[in-house]
Order: sequence, then C-alpha cells, then structure tokens
Amino acid sequence: MTDAVAMTNERNQMFRDLFSGKTPKRVPLSNPATQDFAIQYAGLDLAECQWDLTKLEPVYEKFCQDFVTDTYPGGSIRLPSHYQILGSTPIVMSSSGFMQHPEVVGLLAEEYDEFIASPYDCIVEKVLPRLFTELNGAPGKVAMTLAKAMRAQSDDLAYLGTIRAKMNAKYGYATMMGALTEAPFDFMADFLRSFKGISGDVRRYPDKIAAACEAVLPLMIKKGTLPNPAMLGYTFIPLHMAPYLRDKDFATLYWPTFKKLVETMAGMGQNVQLFVEQDWMRYLDYLYELPENTIMRFEYGDPKLVKEKLGKKHIISGFYPITLLQTGTKQQCVDKAKELMDVLAPGGKYWFQADKSVINFEAKGPVADNMRAVLEYVHENGTY
Amino acid sequence: MIDLKILTQAVGDLDEKVILGIINDFVATNPSGEDAQKVVLACQQGMAIVGDLFEKNEYYVGDLIFAGELLSQTIELLKPVLSGEATQKVGSMVIGTVEGDLHDIGKNIFGSMAEAAGFEVYDLGIDVSPRAFVDKIKEVKPDIVGMSGVLTLAIDAMRNTVKALEEAGIREGVKVIIGGNPVNEDACKQIGADAFTTNAAEGLKTCQGWVK
Amino acid sequence: MDSKYYATWEEYLAEHPELEGKPEHAIAPKIQKYEDAVFVFVMDLLL
Ligand code: B12
Repeated sequence: MTDAVAMTNERNQMFRDLFSGKTPKRVPLSNPATQDFAIQYAGLDLAECQWDLTKLEPVYEKFCQDFVTDTYPGGSIRLPSHYQILGSTPIVMSSSGFMQHPEVVGLLAEEYDEFIASPYDCIVEKVLPRLFTELNGAPGKVAMTLAKAMRAQSDDLAYLGTIRAKMNAKYGYATMMGALTEAPFDFMADFLRSFKGISGDVRRYPDKIAAACEAVLPLMIKKGTLPNPAMLGYTFIPLHMAPYLRDKDFATLYWPTFKKLVETMAGMGQNVQLFVEQDWMRYLDYLYELPENTIMRFEYGDPKLVKEKLGKKHIISGFYPITLLQTGTKQQCVDKAKELMDVLAPGGKYWFQADKSVINFEAKGPVADNMRAVLEYVHENGTY
Repeated sequence: MIDLKILTQAVGDLDEKVILGIINDFVATNPSGEDAQKVVLACQQGMAIVGDLFEKNEYYVGDLIFAGELLSQTIELLKPVLSGEATQKVGSMVIGTVEGDLHDIGKNIFGSMAEAAGFEVYDLGIDVSPRAFVDKIKEVKPDIVGMSGVLTLAIDAMRNTVKALEEAGIREGVKVIIGGNPVNEDACKQIGADAFTTNAAEGLKTCQGWVK
Repeated sequence: MDSKYYATWEEYLAEHPELEGKPEHAIAPKIQKYEDAVFVFVMDLLL
C-alpha cells in the first residue's frame, strides 16, 4: 500500500468516526480557500483557467502541495461554459473573472399557483426560459442549446474529476461524495422570487409560500440524495434566508419543510452538512431538534454557546473568521485557531473549517502565509 | 384631511392594505400639494418606527426591504398630487451602487426616502462606473452625490469614483455621501467623501443639513 | 414527483411497449440514469 492510499484510508476513517459521533484520531480539517483562490495563487488568469481547464492541473498541484488539508480543496459547479451557452442571467462571469450571482426573478408572484400545482413543470416551462435567454425560443433551438450545455458541463465535470482523482492519489485525501440541495424556502427565494420578492411575499402571501415549500420539498429531497447512502459523504445544504426573517415567519414558513428535508436525508442514512450562514443564535433551540450528528458549519455567533447547547448532539464546525487572515499577524491567526479548538474540540464532534470561503488572493497580502500557518497548526496540534 | 397618526402607525406596522387604502382615498380627494407633503412626512415618521423596531430586533432585513418597497409605492401614488410642489425641490442628488457591486436594496431605501423628503433623485442603478457618475454629474449638476456599496471591494470603487470626480474638476461642486454596510470613518477618509452612514435616515438628515 | 418532464422507469416502460420482453435489468438503469442526469442539471441551474 502506498503512503497516499494509507493516508486516504486513515482520513476516511476519521470522517467515518466523526459522522457517527465517535471521537476521531485528530480534529479533521478542510482548507477554506476555493478554486478561485488557487488560480490567483498560481499567478494565472481567472477567466482563462475556468474556460481552459487543462490549465488547472498545475494550479491544483501547487495548491495541494502548499496547504495541508484532509479533504480535496476544490471543485465547483459554477464553470462558465454551460452558463454561456445557456445565456445565463442568474450566474454571470464578472469582468475580473468571478462567477457571480446578480438578483433575478425566475418566478412571478402570479405564478405561485401554477408552481404549487407542479413545481418541475413550472420550472421547465416558465422559470428556465425566463432566466436563461437561449432556452427561450423555438423548441428546436432550445433542444439544441440544452444538448450543447449539458455536454459542456459534463465534459467540464469529468475533467475536474480526473484532476481530483490525481490529487487524491498523490495527497491521500479523504474520498467523500457530496450532493447539493437547499431548504425549500431558500430555493423559493434565491433564483425564483429573489431576496426582494420573497421579502414582500412573506407579508403578502404567506400561505402561498408555505404551499410552494411543501410542493418543492420532494424535488429538494431528490436533489440531495447521494447515489448510495452508505457512501462516505454528505448532503450539503447552504442556509440563506432565516436570519432575515422574523421569528414567527421563520417558525411557520422556513422551518417545517427544512426540518422534513433534513430528517428525510438522515432517515435514508445520509449525513447532512448545513452551512449555517449569518447569525443563527436566536434559532439554536430549533437546530437542536434536528437528527443526531447533523454537521453544522457556522458563520457567526458564539462558539461557546453553540458547543454547550448543540455540541453533545451535533457536529460543530466553522466560526474561524477568515477576515483575520487578512488583517492579523501569523501569531494572532494561530491563536484564534487554538482558541476555537479549545472550545470546540473537547469530546470530539468537531471539524475545523472557516466561517466562509477564501475566494480572493492578493500577491502582496498576508492571507496565504497566515492560512498555511493556521492549517499546519491545526494539523499538528489537533490530536485527541 | 386623513388621520396622519393612523398612517404613521400603519407604515410602522408595514400594513400594506391599510396604507394603500389611506393613500388612495387621500389622492381621490384631489388634495393640495401642502397636504400631500404632510402625508409624506407621516410616512417618513412611520419609517422611523420601522428603523426602531429593526434596532430592537423585532424587524429584520426582510422587513426593511419590504418597507422600502412600500415607501416607493406610496411615493408613486402621491406623485400626481405632489407635482404642484415640484418647484419646491429641496435639492438634487445623483445616487448609484458603485462599480463591481450589484446590491441595491440599501440604495433603493435611501433613494425613496430622499425622494419622499423632496429631493430630485437621479438613480444610476447598480455597477455604476466612475465615468457614468462623472457624466451624469456634469449633465444635471446635483448638490449631492450618494454612493452605495456592500461588498468590501466597493470601498476601492468609491475611492476611484471620487478620484474621477477630482480629475474631471467637479469634486468641489458637490457633497459626497457614502452608505452601505462596510463603510466607516476610516473608509470615508480614505475615499475622500464628506460623510458616511450605515443608516438611511441618518444619511438623509446629513443631506438635508447640506441643502438648507 | 409528478411531472411531464420526468419519468420513473415504470412510467417510461408503460409508454414504451416496444421494450416489453427486452433485458430490463440492462435497460432500466440506463434510461433512469439520463432521466436523473437532466433533473440534476436543471436543478443545479437554480442553485
Ligand atoms: C441581499 C443580498 C444579496 C442579494 C442582492 C439583492 C439586491 N438587489 O441588492 C443577492 C442574492 C443578489 C446577492 C448577491 C451577491 N452577494 Co450578497 N448579500 C445580500 C445580504 C444578505 C443583504 C444585503 C442587504 O441588502 N442589506 C440590507 C440593506 C438595507 O442594508 P445596507 O445595504 O447596509 O443599506 C442601509 C444603509 O447602509 C444605508 N445605505 C445604503 N446605501 C446607501 C447609500 C447612501 C448614499 C446612503 C446615504 C445610505 C445608504 O441605507 C440602508 C438602510 O438603512 C448580505 C448579507 C448581509 N447581512 O449584509 C449579502 C452580502 C453583502 N453578499 C455578499 C456576496 C459575496 C454576494 C455575491 C458576490 C455572491 C456571489 N458569489 O455571487 C453576489 C453579488 C455580486 C456582486 N458583484 O455584487 C457578501 C459580501 C462579502 C464581502 N465582504 O464583500 C455578503 C456580506 C454576504 C456574506 N456574508 O458573505 N446578495
């Protein structure tokens, strides 16, 4: 057995332990930086590398070499080729090469009833043509566009997959599968009604939102299902809108279908990782109710309180403030990691991840050095 | 004349039906411009209640957004009866979300409040380049320039915009205010703005002070 | 999930009698795979 294979086995075991509530050998850790960061770190052009993926292999090689982590530090569903072919409005490449999300409205308020009656039909017939200009027009054109776009994305993902396999084989990362889905309310907000639209709907037609969330729940479950629930991996659910809602709107509109989603995934034997974005401290009692060993990566809030209230039942992660990597000294950055480990690691059920992704690299800035120091510190000092 | 207290409270409660009912009834009476101004003032006082409830954590960002939308709807309805007052614009401003940033909720809230307070507002929208600011300012010669942004990179864009005003020789002729979550005193100095705020009502007071 | 644009194998088979008596164990997973692939593609566009 090569060293890398042994390392993969060891890391897989760490995550199996973590996800089943056993204390792993050491604190598992993930590099918070993304492919965007990696490309800039290699000194290459963002736009060019995201179009010509053959440029990415040396990018990942350097990234993996320089920053220690237990999970493969890359992957993205937002590559430009298929969005370009589709005439995407909700995801567009900015002049600096970042894939970004302007506010869009895919579903009109007067279309709620149609959506509720058959969400997927409504998505195909109303939402897609509205958001993707090339899916709007003669059926022949639409069919050809869809074929090109799916082929493009499929090629891109396959190529990223080969890079990933190479890096796993060389650096011995844990081999985890992932599926992505959303809380029904967030799905209704993000690309369908928009942040602004849903905020008005909460006041104007709360019953329709509730019915739409129920209607779309089976789609969100299906989307979040892994090819095989026994695989090492998890369903990733980023959480968006709850902190912007009043408690009572959260309780009636957001929570019920979200809870069902997580319970269903857990019931199928899958792990779930929530990215608890913004500040959820007023909802901790709700989070407690979710199935045991739900992984919760927090952005803001009080780590002590979270460990106390949720740490025995759930797996806690996040909180490391990436802004510190930009403003702090190496010592301050490492001290912060130590402080968080002291609070969150005791008793296990802890995974070191940052509060958000590092997407930007400035050659003159301290981020890369600080991040390297933090990852090495956690790697060396996280032994239980 | 309608009961302004009820209107103020309805705005505070974000009760759309009551607000639109009152405003539609009011407009139907073909009121004077002066009375219409009183109605606008009552709405603004309602927005202050919204702001208070937000600070007390009874309202959240979603409620602010809805409040902004209600306010602009109300102003739209009142425009025909306010038009008699058009000659009495208290001042003018060019506003926009700076280059690279697409967030406009905060800017829109501020824009409707400024309009309600009697400013002529030229809104350039989102992702506004320094060049576009310069061109519009040369065209309409406003009293005030308002820049909005919530991304950290917006700070750089604001600095570039002020620089562009200087280079075009029009910086001296206007007051510059910046708003949005990441702005603070340091950023304000760096950028070379005259004022900063993370609160639309406060920003409006500053602007009113400038045009007195 | 009830939709014009998504079919389970059973629904598909009911519409395609020509497949009756052909090796179902080989055909079913393949048909289902592309049915699901399009579903995932479409949903990823809205995430
Ligand atoms: C809503 C939202 C969106 C919506 C925007 C909808 C819209 N039409 O604006 C959508 C979903 C489209 C969106 C997209 C993105 N977003 Co966003 N978004 C937010 C969110 C949740 C709220 C922002 C907001 O509207 N706040 C409410 C308003 C009312 O507050 P405000 O702007 O501060 O305005 C007040 C005052 O400041 C003042 N004011 C504002 N402007 C002005 C101007 C003047 C002249 C004056 C006097 C006063 C004034 O008045 C207002 C009322 O008091 C924040 C998170 C957060 N909690 O802030 C993230 C956030 C701003 N987004 C973020 C990001 C990264 C993005 C994306 C880049 C994501 C992506 N990868 O695609 C894209 C943006 C692309 C781009 N180039 O801009 C980050 C920014 C991180 C950073 N440090 O830069 C945040 C902080 C989220 C996070 N925690 O990571 N987003």
